[in-house]
Amino acid sequence: MGEETTSIGGIHISPNAVATIAYHATLESYGVVGLAPKNLAEGLAHTITREPTRGVSVNYDGDNVDIEINIVVEYGTRIASVANSVANTVRYHVEKALGLRVNSINVHVAGLRVSDTD
Amino acid sequence: MVVDSPETQKRLAKFRKAPMDGQALKRLVEAGLTWLRTNQQTVNALNVFPVPDGDTGTNMVLTMQSAYNEISELGHRSVDEMAAAISQGALMGARGNSGVILSQLWRGFSRGLQGQEVLDGPGLVKAFAQARDTAYKGVVRPVEGTILTVAKDIAAETEAGLKPEHDAIDILEMAVKAAGESVERTPELLPVLKQAGVVDSGGMGLHVILEGMLRHVYGQPLDTPVASVQPLSALDFESAMQEVEEGQDFEVVVDFYPEDELDLQSFYGKLEEMGTSIQLGEGEGMYRMHIHVPLENRYVPIDYIMGIGTITKVAMENLVAQMDEIDEKAKGDYFELANVEPGQIAVVTVSPGPGLSRIFASLGVAAIVEGGQTMNPSTQDILAAFENLPTDKVIILPNNKNIVMAANQAKDVTVKNVQVVPSRNIPQGLSALLALDPDGDVEAVAEKMNKSLDLVKAGEITVATRSVEIDGVSCEQGQVIALLDGKLVSSAKTVEKACLNLLEKAGAEELELITLFYGEDLTATEANRISDKVREAYPGQEIEVQDGGQPHYQFIISVE
Repeated sequence: MGEETTSIGGIHISPNAVATIAYHATLESYGVVGLAPKNLAEGLAHTITREPTRGVSVNYDGDNVDIEINIVVEYGTRIASVANSVANTVRYHVEKALGLRVNSINVHVAGLRVSDTD
Repeated sequence: MVVDSPETQKRLAKFRKAPMDGQALKRLVEAGLTWLRTNQQTVNALNVFPVPDGDTGTNMVLTMQSAYNEISELGHRSVDEMAAAISQGALMGARGNSGVILSQLWRGFSRGLQGQEVLDGPGLVKAFAQARDTAYKGVVRPVEGTILTVAKDIAAETEAGLKPEHDAIDILEMAVKAAGESVERTPELLPVLKQAGVVDSGGMGLHVILEGMLRHVYGQPLDTPVASVQPLSALDFESAMQEVEEGQDFEVVVDFYPEDELDLQSFYGKLEEMGTSIQLGEGEGMYRMHIHVPLENRYVPIDYIMGIGTITKVAMENLVAQMDEIDEKAKGDYFELANVEPGQIAVVTVSPGPGLSRIFASLGVAAIVEGGQTMNPSTQDILAAFENLPTDKVIILPNNKNIVMAANQAKDVTVKNVQVVPSRNIPQGLSALLALDPDGDVEAVAEKMNKSLDLVKAGEITVATRSVEIDGVSCEQGQVIALLDGKLVSSAKTVEKACLNLLEKAGAEELELITLFYGEDLTATEANRISDKVREAYPGQEIEVQDGGQPHYQFIISVE
C-alpha cells in the first residue's frame, strides 16, 4: 500500500503501519477502554505476536484506505458519540501521518466495560 | 474577578445564608450554560485539530443544554436528585469528544453527591474528586493537557485547600481559580497546543462553565463576554446576526487606532450603555469594534471612538433590512424537481449546497441527495432518493469520486435499472446533465453522459487545512489552494489569485465558457468582485457567476 516512487527508490507503507497508527489513535480516544480482537483466530494470533494492531484491520483497494476497528466502550458513556470521535480521530491521524486518503472507517462496538454501576 | 463592591458582598452574604439545595444547583447549571454560550465562539476558536467534530464550544454547549433541559421543569429536589438528573441529561445529549467527557464529569459529580440533601464544602470537594475519577476511567491512555487534566487539577486543589469552615462557595471559588491556572498550563503539557499558540479548548470550556456559576453567585452579568480582544480573524459577525434584538436595528463596525493604550474595562462599559452584541478584535495595532445599536443611536459609538483614537473605516448596516434579505434568500432555497412519468429516465444527483441544488433542479434532475466532500451520503441515502420515484430507469450522478462507490452499491441492491455515470465533481455532473433525454434509452443516455464528462475541466478553490507538498506544489495551512480535476495546482494568499492561477493552469484562454459557482463562505459582492477580475483577465471568454452555496469551497469552477 501507499506505493510511491522517488528518484532514489520506492516507498512502501504496509497496512500494518496504518493499523498501528489507527490503534494508538483509538486508544487515546475518550470513552474507549480497549480494542477487541475481530475473532478468535485474531485473538490467538495477537497473544503470540503481541503486535500493536489488535482489533484493527486495514484494507487497501489501490487508491483508498478502509479501516475497521473493534472497540470496547466504557459503560455509561454515549456510545454513538464515542464511536464518532474514534472515527474522526483515527481519520485525522492516519491522513496527517501518511497523506493517504481514508475512504471509510467502520467502528464496531464489540462490548462495554462496566467499572461502576449507578 | 472583582468581588469587593458592596452589592456583591451583600449578595454573597445572602447566598451563604441560604442552603444550597437542588434549586440552587439548577440555577448554577443554568448560569454555567449561559456563560458558556456567551463564550462559545472564543472556545471554538481554540480548536487545533481540523476535524469535523472540532467545534468544542458548540459541542459543550449542546451537552450542557441537554443537561439543563432535563432539570428545567423540576421543582424542589435534594441536591443529589438534581445532580442525577443533570448527569442523565448530559449523557443523553453528549456531543463530540468534549461533550462525552463533560457528561462523564457530571456522572461522577452526581455520584459524589449521593445521599446529600444540600451542597456543602466537603460535599463539593468529594463531587469534584468523583468527577475526576469517573472521567479518567473512560479512557485507556489519558492525554494530559486536556479537559481531563483541568478536572484533575480542580479536584487536587480543592482537596488540598479544604478547611472545616469552608462552604460550597469557597470551594467553587477555589475550583474556578484552579481551573483557570490549569488551563493556562495546558500548552506546557500538550505540544500541539503550544505549536498552535492556544490553550486547550475543552479545558477552557470547563473553566467557563464553573466561572459562569461563580459569576451568578457574585451577580455579574452572563450575557456579555468579559472585556476581551480577539484576533481579527476570530471575529464572527454572522453569529451576532442571529441575535438581533428588537430595537437594535443597526450594525456598526468601526476600525480604529486608539491614541493611548485601550482601557478595555471602561471601553466595554461605555459600549454596553449604547447597544448589544459587542465584539472587539485586534490585529497589528488596529482594532475593530462591532456593535448593534438602535436607529437613533447609530452615530454614538462612532462619536465616542473618535474621541479616543483615529478612525480608519466605518461600516453601518440596517439589520432589519438584512434580516429580510436572509428570509428572502431562505425562500429562494425552494426549487422544483423534475416530475418523472413512468418509463422516463430519472436522474439522481448529489449536491453539496442549496444554490447548486437549484441549478441541478433547473436542468431536470428528479431527486437530490445532499452531500459532498466532507459529508458523503450513504448507499442508503442514495437508494432512498430514487426508490419511490415512479420509474425504474435511473441514472445516478455522484459528483464526487468518494461517492461513486456508494452509488454503485445502490445500483447493486435495487431491482431498478440503474446506471451510474461516475462524475467526479460538480462541473462534470452539470455537463453530463446537458446530455439528458428523459424519454431516451437509459443505457444510451448514460453512455452519452459518460462521454461528456471529459469535455469539462473542473476547478475547486478551498483553504488548506494543513501544510502539505504534493506534485511539486507546496501550501501552508490556511492558504487558499486551487485544485484542477482533483489535483493541487496552485496555492495563493487570496481567493482571487488562486482563481486566476487555476484558470491559467486549466488553459482557459483556449476555451469558451467559464462558470464560477461561489460557496457559502463568500458573499455575492465578493464573488462579483472576483469574477470582474476574471473577466478582465479573460476578455475573450464568456464568464458566468452562480450562487452554489456549497460549504468549504469558496469556488467551484467549470471551464469548457
